[in-house]
Amino acid sequence: MSDDYFEEEDFQTKFSGNTFRRILSLTKPHIKWVIGFLVAIAIVSALDSYFTYLSKRLIDEGIVAKNVVALRHILTIYGLLLILQAGFVFIFIYLASVLGERIRYDLRKTLFNHLQKLSLSYYSRTPVGWIMSRVTSDTERVSDLITWGLLDMTWGFMNIVTAMIFMLIISWKLALIVFVALPILFVVAVQFRKRILTQFRLVRKLNSKITGAFNENITGVRVIKALVREKGNLAEFSVLTGDMYKAGYRAAWLSALFLPTVQIISAFALGAVVWVGGLQSNFGIITIGGIQAFISYVTFMLWPIQDIARVFAEMQHSMASAERIFSLEDSVPEVKDREDAIPTSTIFGDIEFDHVSFSYEDNVPVLEDLTLKIKKGETIALVGPTGGGKTTIVNLLCRFYEPKQGVIRINGTDYTKFSLNSIQSRIGIVLQTPHLFSGSIRENLRYGRLDASDAEIEEAAKVAGAHNFIMKMPRNYEEPVGEGGNLLSVGQKQLISLARAVLAKPEIFVMDEATSSVDTLTEALIQKGMDVLMKRTTSFVIAHRLSTIKRANRILVIENGRIVEMGSHAELLKKGGKYYRLYTKQFRDQMEAEFDPFGEKLNPQNLPIGGD
Amino acid sequence: MFLAALASWNQVEEGKKKITARDISARIEALLSTSQTRMGYDLNQVVVKNKIKGLWRMMTGYHWHYIGAALSLGISAASKTSTYLLIRYFVDQYLLAQSSTVSLPLIAAGFVMLAIVEGGFAFLSGRLAAETAEGTTRRLRNYIYNHIQHLPFTYHDKMQTGELIQRSTSDVDAMRRFFADQAIGIGRIFILFAINFGMLLSINVRLAFLSIIVVPLVVLTSIWFFKRVSKAYEEYQEQDAVISTTLQENLSGVRVVKAFARQEFEINKFEKENWNKYLRGKKLNLMHSLFWPISDIICGAQMLTGYFIGAIFAINGTISVGSYLAYAGMLTWIIWPLRNLGRLIVQLSTGMVSFGRVLEIIKQNREPLDTGSAPIPERLRGEIRFENVGFQYEEGEKVLEDINFVVKPGQVIALLGSTGSGKTSLVNLLPRFYEYTTGRILLDGIELKDYPRRYLRSQIGIVEQEPFLFSRSIRENIIYGVDRLVEQHHIEEAANAAAIHDVIMGFPENYKTLVGERGVTVSGGQKQRIAIARTLLKDPRILILDDSTSSVDTETESEIRDALTRLMQDRTTFIIAHRIQSIMNADLILVMDKGRIVQHGNHQDLMAVDGIYREIYDIQTRIEQELEKEIANV
Repeated sequence: MSDDYFEEEDFQTKFSGNTFRRILSLTKPHIKWVIGFLVAIAIVSALDSYFTYLSKRLIDEGIVAKNVVALRHILTIYGLLLILQAGFVFIFIYLASVLGERIRYDLRKTLFNHLQKLSLSYYSRTPVGWIMSRVTSDTERVSDLITWGLLDMTWGFMNIVTAMIFMLIISWKLALIVFVALPILFVVAVQFRKRILTQFRLVRKLNSKITGAFNENITGVRVIKALVREKGNLAEFSVLTGDMYKAGYRAAWLSALFLPTVQIISAFALGAVVWVGGLQSNFGIITIGGIQAFISYVTFMLWPIQDIARVFAEMQHSMASAERIFSLEDSVPEVKDREDAIPTSTIFGDIEFDHVSFSYEDNVPVLEDLTLKIKKGETIALVGPTGGGKTTIVNLLCRFYEPKQGVIRINGTDYTKFSLNSIQSRIGIVLQTPHLFSGSIRENLRYGRLDASDAEIEEAAKVAGAHNFIMKMPRNYEEPVGEGGNLLSVGQKQLISLARAVLAKPEIFVMDEATSSVDTLTEALIQKGMDVLMKRTTSFVIAHRLSTIKRANRILVIENGRIVEMGSHAELLKKGGKYYRLYTKQFRDQMEAEFDPFGEKLNPQNLPIGGD
Repeated sequence: MFLAALASWNQVEEGKKKITARDISARIEALLSTSQTRMGYDLNQVVVKNKIKGLWRMMTGYHWHYIGAALSLGISAASKTSTYLLIRYFVDQYLLAQSSTVSLPLIAAGFVMLAIVEGGFAFLSGRLAAETAEGTTRRLRNYIYNHIQHLPFTYHDKMQTGELIQRSTSDVDAMRRFFADQAIGIGRIFILFAINFGMLLSINVRLAFLSIIVVPLVVLTSIWFFKRVSKAYEEYQEQDAVISTTLQENLSGVRVVKAFARQEFEINKFEKENWNKYLRGKKLNLMHSLFWPISDIICGAQMLTGYFIGAIFAINGTISVGSYLAYAGMLTWIIWPLRNLGRLIVQLSTGMVSFGRVLEIIKQNREPLDTGSAPIPERLRGEIRFENVGFQYEEGEKVLEDINFVVKPGQVIALLGSTGSGKTSLVNLLPRFYEYTTGRILLDGIELKDYPRRYLRSQIGIVEQEPFLFSRSIRENIIYGVDRLVEQHHIEEAANAAAIHDVIMGFPENYKTLVGERGVTVSGGQKQRIAIARTLLKDPRILILDDSTSSVDTETESEIRDALTRLMQDRTTFIIAHRIQSIMNADLILVMDKGRIVQHGNHQDLMAVDGIYREIYDIQTRIEQELEKEIANV
């Protein structure tokens, strides 16, 4: 739903040969289908023109000549061709539409697969909504261009060309009149189509604004009522709906004007045909059927023209869509395996940050000259204010990003010498806001290790303290978690993501503690699960809870991209510095909540330093 | 009228500098009242049992437009048919006549004229229908928007946001399509059929009836087909939603995917859904690729039968050659459009469903803002008296019971209690967000229910725990609740007092910076301070504070506290408290549990008795002792 609120983007682009060739190359694997539907549509189109010609013969050779045999003969041919045409109609609709589906499928697949390779840096600068639009709407537009666009063009051109041929056969003089009208019709039609399209895009844009306005009106209704803002809101909204009225009305009447205009222009051609044809018939140059055929050709000429015009008008936008798709396809992952990367057999060992600096954007350093040695199996707690660089340290450790300067070594080896997969598959991570995928609890747990048996999954859930609540669910391990896990409580999600990490049997464990509070029982379960993991691994915890902080071997206070204090809990407390202040504040808050006489926590537990 | 008002409003917007607030509100007033004549039709009248009647009433103000659209459609169709009659005339009286007296240029001009009439009226019809549809929709949108903000909380509590948005956008758009396309489209098919069939009857009755043998078949097949297609299409769309969800989850969970190195797994998962969509699309397309050629053949067979019989009649001399030509032309307009009837009918039925869903909203009763018999003083004193107040939702247990207390103007009342103890419900009664069900509340000696809600709410300021900000500029957010002119220095003063000015000046466009997706992300503490500035500007007599400093840094906490103190000066203040330090100075402390006041008094009173309050207080001292111990121990 939320995607609707993204304002409709409006892109146009100049025609580019390269992009066009690249679009066409998308059909390469299915070239037979393309040829198939093009041939089928060409035949259908030619037959349409031929039917008019048959009607002419029916009139001249059958009715006017009063020849019933010829009449039957012509109608038999007509009927047979009609059936034949129906066959080709089936073929072209089927081939073109299924191919369209197929190309959409291909494009989505290519994009999705490529997205999996891109680094976290790509995701941090590109909004999810933008990527979504590329994979959903842009793929539609491009595939429409190379199936229906191609088809409509072919149909239109074929129709016009064959009609011209038959007109030339019937009377070249009359045909010339029609040929003069054609370019005029075409230019008018394209101009119209372009304006209509622009107008409809404006309507779409306004529509998403209106949806946004409704969204705010509904979600903010409490504030609106409290501030008695109803009148002002309605006035603002009326302006918006007024714009919408104007745009929608204009789009509608432009569309309503389009066909009549084209029709009237062709009516002049028709009048000329009748006039000249009538004169010629006096000399027997043209028959009644001939004139009737011309009238039909001219009357129905507007359909191919309108189709071609539509494709032309939409072309620019489809090309823009294609360019965006290709730009996504062409983006290169920033973090990837070096050519001579080797898989590491273990990452359980000493870790060293050697003069590491990092920035997400140039000139905005996030970490500066960080040097740090961590012993195998140690537990490190990272504390400090939001934006201080805690998450960045963890991101570098997981090699979601690589240092801009300096080296990170695992067991003495620069970790960029190892393959990404061999490092990341050995890391277990629990995020601050646990991310689950739609599906059952079991499926989510198995995410930690795909080949895990059911017994192993349950074992991991037990270790993480998730087993009990899962068994209380109506469908136990098969209970669906909902989109993004929203059927579960925050605490439950945390327990599951912890169990998932346990199952992965990681060698490095990373935990970004949640700032939101969970009930005391869940809290204790999470602590127990963490203990188990911390024993087996080298652990990094972005810590918000006293108990976690106290249990760490070493605490790092990170501020402005630097380590400002480092040491054990006792050492730092004695020092009476930043850590002391953070700790005493947190202590008061947490105790206050724990001794709550109402039997529940009134206030969410946050370390004043907050979370990244 | 309305458009003119709107246009001048836009100019006002552009020439912002010179206008005064009085001007603006006068404009809004004018805008609303001019719109009232055309737009203000109370859509509540649409709520009738008969849906057709309801739809007709919805078009109020546009009835003649719509009738005009239908008439134009008829004239346009008649001109089209006349073109064929002109062909007949041309063939019979000119081409076949031995000695013709007919003027050829006149016939040629006739074709052009008929085309102009046909096209002109087709356009007129489209334009009138568009005006009706767009106008009706605009009114509907405005009405629903306004309706939603006037519906009571009891309604909003039970409605889901997504559902409500769906109804006010997609369902309303379905109504627009109903007026613009479907009703007109079906009308067009019927008019074309009627006029052309009427003409056929005049040519030859037997021929006419022989020409429509397949009509029921075509109509039924078409309806049957489109019903199935719309179902297949729904399935296809559902899968589309699945793909979007899968993609979205993958993108937002990219850290998890990478951390577990599950790219391969994700690719396979997406592949499955992606392929499934392909298959569903294939099924849908197969249906289309069968329907169109089959209906081609049915319609084609009818055409050929007609051609054959018509041609025989023409050879016999039962009808003229010109009549045959006219007949052949008109036949096209009877048979082929019918194939689309099914599509329109199916769409129409979904349109009706949407109409029903929109009615569900319109049906709800608004809470009146302006009714109330109390004489409205310029300024409230702020004395509040609760007498045996109780509150419960329509059905369900009592939320508040036996609430009694008195507050003098300017006093501070702290509410202490666990979640669900009734603190929030109690303060929600003051701005009449909910109506108390028993007892009475007196404000300056007058029963609360006698005050108009608008006045009451303008006198009460609320600062919530996590205030809602609108996605507009910071400046607009601060002046959101003020309907007088606010000068920039007033805004800055308020922002300064709320300790947010310096933060705002640090934003890229200062006060003009947008909040939210398209602008800056604002932290919880910043939101709270913006809300404080907003409330300072509003200058209410009564204040409701949700005193929470969750997710706020240490420094900000004291800043917020100072800002709140400034805000509370000279105002009767209700604090929903979470910690004891902030309420020790309150004039009256209400300790609440399960909807009742279990203890009340000031700090000294409550400390003197044994109870929850003292228990809480003792804990504070114990915590300090523990902390000292803890630090001494290391």
